[in-house]
Amino acid sequence: MAVEKILSFIKQKPDLMFAIILAFFVYCVFAFTNDYFMTHRTTFAIMERFAVLGLVGLALTLCIIAGEIDLSIGSNAALAAVIVVRFTDSLGAPTALLIAVAVSTIIGLIQGYFIAYLRIRAIVLTVGTLMLLRGISLFVAEEKTVMLTDFRIPDFITTKVLWYFSPASLTVIAMFVLVGLFMNFTKYGREIYAIGGARKEALAAGISLKRPMIIVFAISGFCAGLGGVIIGLRSGTAQALGLQYLLLAGTVAAFIGGVSILGGRGGVVGAVIGALTVNFLNTGLVFNVTPAFMVQLYLGILLLVVIMFQTGSVIFEKRQRRYQILKDIDNRRERLKKEMKGGAQP
Amino acid sequence: MEEQLLSLSKITRSFGAIHALKEVSFDVMPGEVMGLVGENGAGKSSLVKIIGGFDSGYTGQLTFANKQVRFSGPVMAERAGIAIAQQELSLIPTMSVAENVLLVGDNVPKIATKRQLIKLVEPFLSEVGLDYIDPATSVERLSVGERHLVEVARLIAHDPQLLILDEPTAALGETDSIRILEMVERLVKRGKSVIYVSHRLDEIFKICDRITILRDGRSVAVKNTKGLSVSELVNSMLGRELENMFPKRISTSSKTPLLKVRDLWPDGLLDPVDLDIFPGEILGLAGQLGSGTGEILSAIAGAHPIRGGSLEMDGNVFMPKTPNEAIKAKIAYCSEDRKHDGLFLGRPIIENLTSTALKRIGNFGILQPSAENGLANDIAKGFTIDNSRLPSEAGVLSGGNQQKVALGKWLAISPKVILVNEPTRGVDVGARAEIYQTLHKLAKKGTAIVIASTDLQEIANLPTRIIAFYRGLKVSELGYREVSAENILTQITDPFGAAKLER
Amino acid sequence: MSPISEPINQLPKPSILEKLIQRHSKLAIALLAIFIVVFVYGMVTAPNFLTLFNFKTIIRDAALVGIMAIGLTFVTLSGNFFLLSMKETAALCIIAFATGMASGWGFELSFLFTMVFALIAGISQGALIGIGGNPIVVTLGAAGVLYGLGAYWSDNLVVSYRRPHGAEWLGTGSFLGLPNITVAFILIAISAELLLRKTSFGRQVYLIGANRAAGRATGHENFWMAIKVCTIASVCSAFVAIAFSAQVSSAQVNYFSSEFGSSGDMTIMVIATVMVGGNSIMGGFGSTLRSSLGAVFISTVDNMMVLHGFNSGPRVFAVGLMIVFSIIVFAILRRGSRSEE
Repeated sequence: MAVEKILSFIKQKPDLMFAIILAFFVYCVFAFTNDYFMTHRTTFAIMERFAVLGLVGLALTLCIIAGEIDLSIGSNAALAAVIVVRFTDSLGAPTALLIAVAVSTIIGLIQGYFIAYLRIRAIVLTVGTLMLLRGISLFVAEEKTVMLTDFRIPDFITTKVLWYFSPASLTVIAMFVLVGLFMNFTKYGREIYAIGGARKEALAAGISLKRPMIIVFAISGFCAGLGGVIIGLRSGTAQALGLQYLLLAGTVAAFIGGVSILGGRGGVVGAVIGALTVNFLNTGLVFNVTPAFMVQLYLGILLLVVIMFQTGSVIFEKRQRRYQILKDIDNRRERLKKEMKGGAQP
Repeated sequence: MEEQLLSLSKITRSFGAIHALKEVSFDVMPGEVMGLVGENGAGKSSLVKIIGGFDSGYTGQLTFANKQVRFSGPVMAERAGIAIAQQELSLIPTMSVAENVLLVGDNVPKIATKRQLIKLVEPFLSEVGLDYIDPATSVERLSVGERHLVEVARLIAHDPQLLILDEPTAALGETDSIRILEMVERLVKRGKSVIYVSHRLDEIFKICDRITILRDGRSVAVKNTKGLSVSELVNSMLGRELENMFPKRISTSSKTPLLKVRDLWPDGLLDPVDLDIFPGEILGLAGQLGSGTGEILSAIAGAHPIRGGSLEMDGNVFMPKTPNEAIKAKIAYCSEDRKHDGLFLGRPIIENLTSTALKRIGNFGILQPSAENGLANDIAKGFTIDNSRLPSEAGVLSGGNQQKVALGKWLAISPKVILVNEPTRGVDVGARAEIYQTLHKLAKKGTAIVIASTDLQEIANLPTRIIAFYRGLKVSELGYREVSAENILTQITDPFGAAKLER
Repeated sequence: MSPISEPINQLPKPSILEKLIQRHSKLAIALLAIFIVVFVYGMVTAPNFLTLFNFKTIIRDAALVGIMAIGLTFVTLSGNFFLLSMKETAALCIIAFATGMASGWGFELSFLFTMVFALIAGISQGALIGIGGNPIVVTLGAAGVLYGLGAYWSDNLVVSYRRPHGAEWLGTGSFLGLPNITVAFILIAISAELLLRKTSFGRQVYLIGANRAAGRATGHENFWMAIKVCTIASVCSAFVAIAFSAQVSSAQVNYFSSEFGSSGDMTIMVIATVMVGGNSIMGGFGSTLRSSLGAVFISTVDNMMVLHGFNSGPRVFAVGLMIVFSIIVFAILRRGSRSEE
């Protein structure tokens, strides 16, 4: 029974299965090569990293499901980080946090609106906003690295509660659950899948482009903002030009999680697994005293491999579909021949 | 007599000087299947667009459910209770059947689990005869026929009074078509009205109660199906006075074929085909949408997947795998969709015209403006394209001139064979005549021309001989003397006499 | 649905003015107008702006970004969007060049050695894009790999070589009073424009960019095109890397990142330049001349803001604003007049 269920799951979601196996494999490699990897402290560290990377992975997963990509995500996160660090001392952490996340969300919302209104590709607009937001961040940070003076807040958000979790990672997990419910169980979530899976058909069916785009980019902005806030508060410092690596790491996470560049595929569960895989890799490499730039190399290779795997599977699927059509045609011919024998002659 | 559900009177729709519809009257009773037939360009699509609210620029009266209305958009028509199944499906292949059925509309639940959705769609699916499929399967796993049914299920979910099916079986095989017909019968039993637009006369006879015939934008007749004969219907559909736009048909051609097509089996055809194409003739491939004529042409040009086959020209046996290889063999192919792959709309006309022969206008990779201008001017002259407009973008041209450019660019390679799918789709009358003249001239010079067309007048009056196709099968070959519109119409709509057998 | 007969548009013959507008498009004129306004404003308010020296500075500053932008323009015009790996290609190449110079191979050999890397990077990315990989994602991954390789090779350290070196003429030399890098920029801009306008390769770039399906139907495959344009872009990146290294007589992988310079990330600056020049991102419309002018334009604005004492924040913001502005104007202008995608 159980075996059958697992088998049918594999058949239904081969991408997800691939992601789980990859995650498991990466975890095992480091678990065997490093004595410290399978400890409580490491798990906590992984969850801490997951808080940020998971958010960015989630945001990019949504964008790619909708058939777009948000290049400005790093800038948006940096802006939120700068805002929250800069204003925590004067306004208090909760207010600063709210302002930062609200600003990021509104930026995402405006981007979504323009993308739908102008009917342009998101990559085009977000390249522009990437630069724009860097400028704003530099302005807000007054071109310096901003720092917290009060380190109680970093301490608070990295306190351990419930074994492996901190307030930050718990918030992120709640966010995942919410977005997951939204994408799976609401009409609006389904619209996002539709607009990404087959844009022309979805528009012909009567879905307007505006709502899904605004929702996706607002969530993306929110995630970026929250991620930036967590990073800023946790480290106590923020740089206007930092957090560029988020885009690559987040994209890798999203693609490992099973989204397709063609849109309409993938989901929140995949994003979790993708983000975890990248985290295992990240943390493991750091534990093995690999320099930070090497992480980028590995991530790049991973992304290229996943993309090649996907391109290959698209070609394979096309071929499959063609065989299906040919089979259909053969059936039709058989039937027609039979009819002609029995009935009238041409 | 009952009240009509939908009634149109004196509907006129014009685009500039062209009348797409002229004082058309049309009505549908509750619980009736109304057939809408006519040749291509007779105005069926324009009429359907008006009823569905896609087009509000008409004059005349439209009454629906006893109210005089003018829909400003498709959403308005949908709210009023009119649903249209377009030829092109609007399903999302990656999503499940249930999600596709409940994708848009006011009555779609805002929050629902997958299981709830499945429960909700079950009645709609059983209504269209799809109760055997699991609503959780994704649409990409369904056959084309099943997809059409899912599309209708989505329409039914809005609970429409009137359902318009625009050539629902054009791309379908026999079995799937039968299921569509069964579904229509089921819907009518439940009191819905259906407008059934189709080219397939056998189907029309099978399910329609009455038939409205459009011809040249006018509604020429409304007839009861009972007691109507096929030939009577065909006669009312044709009968268009022939404007003097066709050149005299070329009667004879050379005895030795220029291009021999052997065992070519493009995807979409039921059997491999053999063709002999002679220099100096215009060969017509007659057939409706889904008959496979277009696939044959694009397969010869290396633009369509095939199962096998070969071409023979000048003693060389080959099979182009890409358009590039076909071009090298001097085979030119013009597809039916010029906007998709026939034109570079954003580029100047002159660049369009010489795009196929960059080698010819270049010297070691350097373009020679004088050579380019000369070549473009020659082509423009041959196709009556205004010389002074060569530097402007192709996108600003009218449909007819665009088609001339799309065809003309192939003259740059001095082709031996020209394959044209739908040579005059969306082309105004004047440009049409010019295109026919040019094709005629080219054939006289010894070029072999093959056209595939669903336009009956065109296919009956332009080609030297005709090969007719029906649902992916070659059904017959008509020589110079046998070609006539009636003959072709029977061959491509009802070659096996099914409609006559029924009655 | 079979389309109904389209209306016959009997357009009048275009006048000379209309031809001018048609050829150079409204946006170029708008760009020119803004440029003039900025120029006039700068002339009035900044006393040192309108000197020959400052003008030379502007062009010199525009040169590096401009050369890379010219390379990227080929990719964009051919309908393959843009490459996110421009600065990483440069990063790997600058390490390669500096390593060569530090090993005493001399300029010529180091130059060839660097170009080998540029060719490999360009061809492999082009091939991946050509078989159907999404340009953005492929080059995002490639960016990680190229950067990682460069960092690994140099151990993330500065590779320096002693002055005077064989590449001095390119880094700091001058010709007729113009810095050699400026001369190179002008020469590359002219030859790129000639390549696009006067050769069948250039014509193919435009045709494939305007309509890939029609390009295929007329015998121009995107596969080879993708490889060619990516290689051009990579070679331009490599050239910029060499020129920059020759200037500073050293190399480090972060030289082109925003953490190093104040003007922002090089890749994004290059993409910004292409966009501000008014090239169509969907391909088929634009020119390298536009990109060159875009580079000069951005450089002018930046220069003016520096003279007015602005910090890097507002300057980066201004560039971002210019991109977004040009995108929006462009999208509105093109709406309806061209088929989408």
